[in-house]
Amino acid sequence: MPDYEPVLLRNVGVEGSTTLPVYRKRGGYRALAKALKMSPQEVTEEVKAAELRGRGGAGFPAGVKWGFLPRDRTVTYLCVNADESEPPTFSNRVLMEHDPHQLIEGTIIAAWATQARVAYIYMRVEFHEPFHILQRAIDEAYAAGLLGKNILGSGYDLQMYIHRGAGAYICGEETGLIESIEGKRGWPRIKPPFPAIEGLFRRPTVVNNVETLCNVVHILERGAQWFTSIGPAGSYGPKLFCVCGPVNRPGCYEGPMTITVRDLIHGDAWGRGMIDDRGVKAVLPGGISMGILTGDELNMKMDFADPLKYGLLGLGTAAAVVVNEDTDIRVVLRNITRFFAHESCGQCTQCREGTSWSYKIARRIAAGRGRPEDLDILAETAGNLGMMPGLSICGLSDGAAFPIRTLVQKFRGELEGYIRANCGVRMAQPVSE
Amino acid sequence: MPRIEIDGVQVECRGGITVLQAALDAGWSVPHYCYHPGLSITAGCRLCLMEMQLPHPKTGTMDWSPKLVPSCQTMVRDGLVARFASEKVRGNQRRTLEFFLLNHPLDCPVCDQAGECLLQDYSLEFGEPVSRMHDAKHKTPKKDIGPRTLLYTDRCVLCTRCVRFTREVSGTNELCITNRGSREEIDVFPGRPLDNLLQGNVVDICPVGALLDKDFLFKQRVWRLMRAKSICPGCSTGCAVWIDSNEDIVYRLKPRYNPGVNDWWICDDGRFGWKYVHDPKRIVRPLLRRGGAVETPAWDSIPEIVNVRLRAIVDAQGAGRVAAVLSPMMTCEEAWLLIRFIRGLAPEATLVSGPAPLEGEMHTFPVGAIGANVKFTVRREKCPNRRGVDTLVSHAGGPALSFDAFCEQAAAGAFSAAWIVGGYPKTWVTKELAEKIAKIGLLIVQDMFPNALTDAATLVLPVCAFAEREGTFMNYAGRVQPFDRAIAPPDGARRDGQYLYELAGFAGLYNPERVRGMMAEEMPLLGKVEPAPAMAEHQH
Amino acid sequence: MAWPTIDRNTPVIDKDAPPVLGDAVKTKIRSFFERYETKKAALLPALHIVQESLGCISWQAMEEVAALLEIPPSEVFDVVTFYTHYWTKPRGRKAVVVCQSITCEVMGANELLEAIQRQLGIGVGQTTPDGAYSLATEECLALCDHAPCVLINEKKHSRVRTQDVPALLADPNNDKLDVARSELYDP
Repeated sequence: MPDYEPVLLRNVGVEGSTTLPVYRKRGGYRALAKALKMSPQEVTEEVKAAELRGRGGAGFPAGVKWGFLPRDRTVTYLCVNADESEPPTFSNRVLMEHDPHQLIEGTIIAAWATQARVAYIYMRVEFHEPFHILQRAIDEAYAAGLLGKNILGSGYDLQMYIHRGAGAYICGEETGLIESIEGKRGWPRIKPPFPAIEGLFRRPTVVNNVETLCNVVHILERGAQWFTSIGPAGSYGPKLFCVCGPVNRPGCYEGPMTITVRDLIHGDAWGRGMIDDRGVKAVLPGGISMGILTGDELNMKMDFADPLKYGLLGLGTAAAVVVNEDTDIRVVLRNITRFFAHESCGQCTQCREGTSWSYKIARRIAAGRGRPEDLDILAETAGNLGMMPGLSICGLSDGAAFPIRTLVQKFRGELEGYIRANCGVRMAQPVSE
Repeated sequence: MPRIEIDGVQVECRGGITVLQAALDAGWSVPHYCYHPGLSITAGCRLCLMEMQLPHPKTGTMDWSPKLVPSCQTMVRDGLVARFASEKVRGNQRRTLEFFLLNHPLDCPVCDQAGECLLQDYSLEFGEPVSRMHDAKHKTPKKDIGPRTLLYTDRCVLCTRCVRFTREVSGTNELCITNRGSREEIDVFPGRPLDNLLQGNVVDICPVGALLDKDFLFKQRVWRLMRAKSICPGCSTGCAVWIDSNEDIVYRLKPRYNPGVNDWWICDDGRFGWKYVHDPKRIVRPLLRRGGAVETPAWDSIPEIVNVRLRAIVDAQGAGRVAAVLSPMMTCEEAWLLIRFIRGLAPEATLVSGPAPLEGEMHTFPVGAIGANVKFTVRREKCPNRRGVDTLVSHAGGPALSFDAFCEQAAAGAFSAAWIVGGYPKTWVTKELAEKIAKIGLLIVQDMFPNALTDAATLVLPVCAFAEREGTFMNYAGRVQPFDRAIAPPDGARRDGQYLYELAGFAGLYNPERVRGMMAEEMPLLGKVEPAPAMAEHQH
Repeated sequence: MAWPTIDRNTPVIDKDAPPVLGDAVKTKIRSFFERYETKKAALLPALHIVQESLGCISWQAMEEVAALLEIPPSEVFDVVTFYTHYWTKPRGRKAVVVCQSITCEVMGANELLEAIQRQLGIGVGQTTPDGAYSLATEECLALCDHAPCVLINEKKHSRVRTQDVPALLADPNNDKLDVARSELYDP
């Protein structure tokens, strides 16, 4: 895609990009200075006008979320969701490893808009390098008067702390994240009340994704109109896309939400095609939670609306893993069901038992001992997990349901073939289970 | 009082409750596990989901929302429209039940909960007879989690009621959830077992047979048990209990819903402190000491024996030489009958309120809570009816003494005849006490266990246990609570109510309501009986 | 009783044992209190610090953390078992974590895991007898552009092929980070 000038990734590859002096020399913290001269309401209106939709997977408009905070509140918290556990997403990691100050600046601006007194960055513990890089950047920011008391002489105080997770996907769910910061098991809360009313320590709280907050910097610097000039209606702004699997150039790239899955896999600015020119059997384009596409569905546009036409839950994290024609689809099914069985928090009956049962069935199918009724049970269990809204407390069950249902539906022929043959060829079992 | 509509029926309900509670109160059978009115709401079991009408996002008209909503987390408001009788709701119940049964062991033949198990009941209503899972069940271990309780984790449905109980009601925090997902288990920190005065309640609230009472384990099948409504005599709180018995043997006590007194709970002292009921050392027959010999007179001869001897004392020495000590273990009716008999015979007889044993400290729960946050109290006064007896004694007027004063005066020889009621499950007669009272010539002692007083008494009559009696107790707050009898007294014994009724001059079978009616004519306060309301039929 | 049961009544901690948390560790944990409204919120950081200090989180460590944070030990037990990062059994000096999620599996993580098991001679969740290495698996490490990937303590290793395994495990610097570290979570 010619002539696209990276915005979010503009500092990646620049020597010293993780340090304050280099970030400042390349224009950093100008947006913050501008935001602090505006009122919190004005900043929120600008973000609302940009129609910035959350980049964490749900796509909820950030400005609208900030507007839910009660007017008479006294204490507000801002939580940054750096838990990034959705396979195969790694865009937040890239942002934090290469441009930590962009996130810090975006967080301070968002905290100013929401009048938060503390910003907690909830980072998964497996991000070791990002943690060290970001914490040192935060230390730099404190030393330079960009954090702490009286930021840039504005009178606004903000503390920013990194709170490291401990290995739980469910802590990427906003109330699971809040519970984890409070020192408990990451069981999502029943809603209502919503975090904007009663969140962290029962105070009004906003939870935003890393990429969303990085966008806030640029919206403030260049304006909402610039933001809405990028991408189609309903999917404005620059977006990070991840592509991985057996492609020639796996990585995190930036562009407007006009590209298709085919572009992402084959485009020169993107994955640059399949290794050894193997054919594409399947793609999971939104993180595994959104569902699966066949090799004939690569025209899907990577925006917030098109995935629904292909039976997917949504755009998700816009991270695509490609499965080539040499990969047994049963491996994919087993891997996905195992993930959700491990990560289900266990609070709701459907999710707890449904994900575990799905995994047992998928494991058995992959071992060559599938039964004809297994596929129907898998499809039905996916329905009971979360196809019907309201069945569970959080969206993990929806995220488990969609890949199972779409995989069984779209690859039914191949799966039935294995079951019918019952060829007894033992799949290479993952040795850990 | 908000008005809501459930399944097309208008229901008027209390404000501030959930739709689930309103439906249960109005008689609906809505399956649920994790909801309990005395605990916080988690909405995790997903059985109680209902359909609700909400404004359509585009048109604004009220329509059935495609989203199922847990009825346990939706508060009632005027005009709410919900339904449980729909294919969506029933479908969810069926499928959720299938999920519960996936890894559940087929333990019914050996499980204590059989007969009162919600998993069994719901399976009968809407379950499948065959499991569709062809894979191995996930097995979790059985645990000994406390001196009185077992946890068979493989039966657990993870409703988390027990964990919330130890966090919110007892405040002792022993129980927790460990692991994640389908591998979750309820557990305690090793070396810090489930051991607090309210721990038995977790067995009651467990909807399946995961938490088990060691005392009741394998003892009796619940469908053979008969239930009677009773009041625990352990302390002056006056918790309402169910006595579960079979063939006149008590097997267990369970709490009975009693809002404002004990709500849904009882303490372990009351729950397990009834074993004395079946103690073989109990006094069951009247004993008469006559001229150096000990006889066992027939029951029908007792009224004559008592009347003759007492009248002799009254005629010879005057009514003032007679005293009656009324124990706080007696019911109001029994005490009233005794007072009527004694004062009828000797109008100047001295009435004494018997000793109310004070033991240990007052325990409030949750631990550390004060004031309105206290949910349960175990009181120091270990008897059920001191206030009732005091009320009756003071109403009767005339000569009255405290128990200590009575003992001093008895030691000084002030009395020639005394009727003393004991009936305490624990030892209450010391050597010094017996020496003071033994000076009384004609000693009629009603008690449960032999002691120095019964050894010195002229006539010994048995006191029956609370499980064998009926009547009312007045608790610490002045609430008059009725209770029924559960079992027959031991062979040879006759209920106190019966022989006191006869002594007081009435014929026929002892009828506590009739006695209460007569009592209420004199003292309306004692006629204001407050039985505990029944819990909704399908609530647990 | 008919069935054998796990005994939770008997203490597992020797009450005369000396404390396992040193003063430095406790001071470090206390330094986190000012960040949160409750002491309990310092539980996850406290457990990280304890694990770095002791190698794993023993029963006694759980009790001492509970006392320090003024919360019941059962709640510490609850949290330690919920999160996969905490080890309750002693861990080797280096923890090798192999990613098991979709991208790594399609790029050969199973063969990689088998190769590591053969090289170390241990299975998943186990530790080598000399205490040098422990092996674990984890769900998506968000290093999918480097699949199949392996973490050794804090350091990530990308595109590890089975033939690279012996050299990787023999390298004494295989857990040294290239970037400057923050000592915030160090005991």
